[in-house]
Amino acid sequence: MNASKLFVAAAAMSMTATTFAAGSHGGGHGSSIGEPGNAGDVSRTIQVEMHDNYYEPEAIEVARGETVRFVIENKGRLVHEFNIGTPEMHEAHQDEMKMMVEHGVIQGDKLNEDMMNMDMGNGQTMKHDDPNSILLEPGQKKEIIWTFSSKTNMEFACNIPGHYQSGMYGDVNFDSAADTQARAD
Amino acid sequence: MKNALMAGALGLLMPVMAAAGEYSLTVDRVMIDTGDFVKEGIGYNGASPGPVLRFKEGESVTINVTNNLDEPTSIHWHGLILPFEQDGVPGISFEGIQPGETFTYEFPIVQSGTYWFHSHSGFQEPNGAYGAIVIEPEGREPFRYDRDYVVQLTDKHPHDANRVMRNLKMMPDYYNRQQQTVGDFFADISKHGFMTALQDRLAWGDMRMMKADVEDVQGFTGLINGKGPEQNWTGLFEPGERIRLRFINSSAMAYFDIRIPGLEMTVVQADGNNVQPVNVDEFRIGVAETYDVIVRPKTAEAYTIFAESMGRSGYARATLAPEEGMEGPVPGLREAPLLTMADMSGMHGMDHGDMTGADASAGMDHSDMNQGEMDPDGMKDDSGMAADASDSMAGMDHSGMDHGAMIMSEGGASDPFYAEGSGLVPVAANGGKFLSYADLRAQKPLYEEREPTREIELRLTGNMERYTWSINGVKYEDAEPLRLQYGERVRFKFVNETMMTHPMHLHGMWSILDVGAGEWNPVKHVISVQPGTTVYMETEVDAPGQWAFHCHLSYHAASGMFRKVVVEGGPDQGNTAGAEVAKDGGDA
Repeated sequence: MNASKLFVAAAAMSMTATTFAAGSHGGGHGSSIGEPGNAGDVSRTIQVEMHDNYYEPEAIEVARGETVRFVIENKGRLVHEFNIGTPEMHEAHQDEMKMMVEHGVIQGDKLNEDMMNMDMGNGQTMKHDDPNSILLEPGQKKEIIWTFSSKTNMEFACNIPGHYQSGMYGDVNFDSAADTQARAD
Repeated sequence: MKNALMAGALGLLMPVMAAAGEYSLTVDRVMIDTGDFVKEGIGYNGASPGPVLRFKEGESVTINVTNNLDEPTSIHWHGLILPFEQDGVPGISFEGIQPGETFTYEFPIVQSGTYWFHSHSGFQEPNGAYGAIVIEPEGREPFRYDRDYVVQLTDKHPHDANRVMRNLKMMPDYYNRQQQTVGDFFADISKHGFMTALQDRLAWGDMRMMKADVEDVQGFTGLINGKGPEQNWTGLFEPGERIRLRFINSSAMAYFDIRIPGLEMTVVQADGNNVQPVNVDEFRIGVAETYDVIVRPKTAEAYTIFAESMGRSGYARATLAPEEGMEGPVPGLREAPLLTMADMSGMHGMDHGDMTGADASAGMDHSDMNQGEMDPDGMKDDSGMAADASDSMAGMDHSGMDHGAMIMSEGGASDPFYAEGSGLVPVAANGGKFLSYADLRAQKPLYEEREPTREIELRLTGNMERYTWSINGVKYEDAEPLRLQYGERVRFKFVNETMMTHPMHLHGMWSILDVGAGEWNPVKHVISVQPGTTVYMETEVDAPGQWAFHCHLSYHAASGMFRKVVVEGGPDQGNTAGAEVAKDGGDA
């Protein structure tokens, strides 16, 4: 691993944020994946378990405007990601995750935290800290609070190379009944 | 395929009150139509390949096999963990199945994944006696797909396998069509000049070997699920679906390089055991190996499954399409790889086992004495190598693969499981990712990691001129069985001293391939050992009884690259109560 390679990786990671921003501010097809939510707005909690290599559950129901607390626990023996986005966003993110694997940031069953936090000299790091996504080592448990906006073709997905392709994704369904309930709330 | 499945389904339904897990197979003379030729062969339930047997992990199966041939037969359940008496190797597991007899196999299914079955008698397997096994796991699969297909390959030869063996014994290069001809020589002269062409011929002639000797049996038609390239087996899909393809190489001799232009493949299983998924553009499947991949065609078009043999002497072709009758473009065969000095570097010790005086310098070795006479400078430029002047691959880039590699590849493709500078290292047709053994990691370790209790070296040896193949220089009929102790963990060191690739298959126990990943090392039933390389595998000796251990190339196994393994001791030593033995062994 040399510095220039790391720099390229860091640049790529910073591009994630750009992609994300475009997606979340109506850049896509006039739809939005929503935005990070506030704890005070949380209407319910959804537990998601990560296994090798699949989620439980594999589909969730949400309502437009709903703020959900996701409690995500990695019960597998490999590192996994939980990332909320459109299939196109996942596809774009997979190249970056591939780079993280190639650079040894993700090493099968562990994360190289030192490398993730390494300062590239320009304030950039390989941190995987986009608000719509978390990366968990085996045994870790973390939360994401997310406010969904309009009905969009969305999935939650693990973009570690091969994981999404072999089926580690779940559907985000915008349910009309849940819509009703969200309004009632 | 459809017919074979139907036959399998009928076989299941016919016993009126059959207990769950009862199956019937007949072993029959059948006609095999490859599209190129029609040949009598051997099949199951009236067809070759036989039916896809679908088992469920945890069930006990009863399989009635009726021999309708006029010669003995057997069925080996390749890759299944079972009591040794059920393993189907005549002379090791049982006596075989006599003509007219029905033999009943009974064993518990203690695993899941993609496997296959084949005759272990004579050359019945290359003559068509093979089929697929699909075992559904007890729990969920660690991946998702919308539909799955078995994609079973073979290298169907127009000659009966007994005749192929006789011809090889008589003339080991009988089927080596890549071999340079007088015509090629004149073509070389016109292309490269007389002296250069002559020098090249002299260099290789001195080594008494053919530089195109990657495949020793050519002239076959590649079949997928029994269909030749023109017959085009087709698997249907709806765009956006994930499809699991269960590739099985049931060839007698041919390795295949498999790709589906336009689709990335995610490898999720190797030899029936799940692996951490790897995205690839192409992969090489050794004889008797299986690989399961998931593909996701998003558009409603036809995709070609293209399987070129490693030596590029033939191919198999099939199609994935939204409806029957659609065809995608079929690529041409790439240029044949040529062996390099690196691939022959293991041959220094060749035939030591045959030697009585053990004077290694006595001129019995092919490469040893002649290497110095090979003029590296003469080989350096393209013209020096001349290669195959009747280049059917017009437009192929010569510089890409072989000629540079002849020297010792500089910046060429490399793979830790091939000799450094090997001419055999595969390269993806689209320049992308080609699967290596080094990419394989167990999805979930099957055994606890521990130090091996001892190491056993197995040198893979042979004499090309006499077409004899052996282990440690001793062929099967002259060899003592390999004795292992129940409960030990043996580290096998394979040293390939020949210039051929050997797919080594240990029956009854898993082969844990050492890729340097500790407890994540993948678990297989066939380990390919490339020329000039040393490969390690470890085996937890957890299955009492006696087992076969051999090169899975049909004509190599038959020529002596074969051992009997005896596992001594164990909880059920002396007790042949079949099924219980396997449970104890399989669950370890």
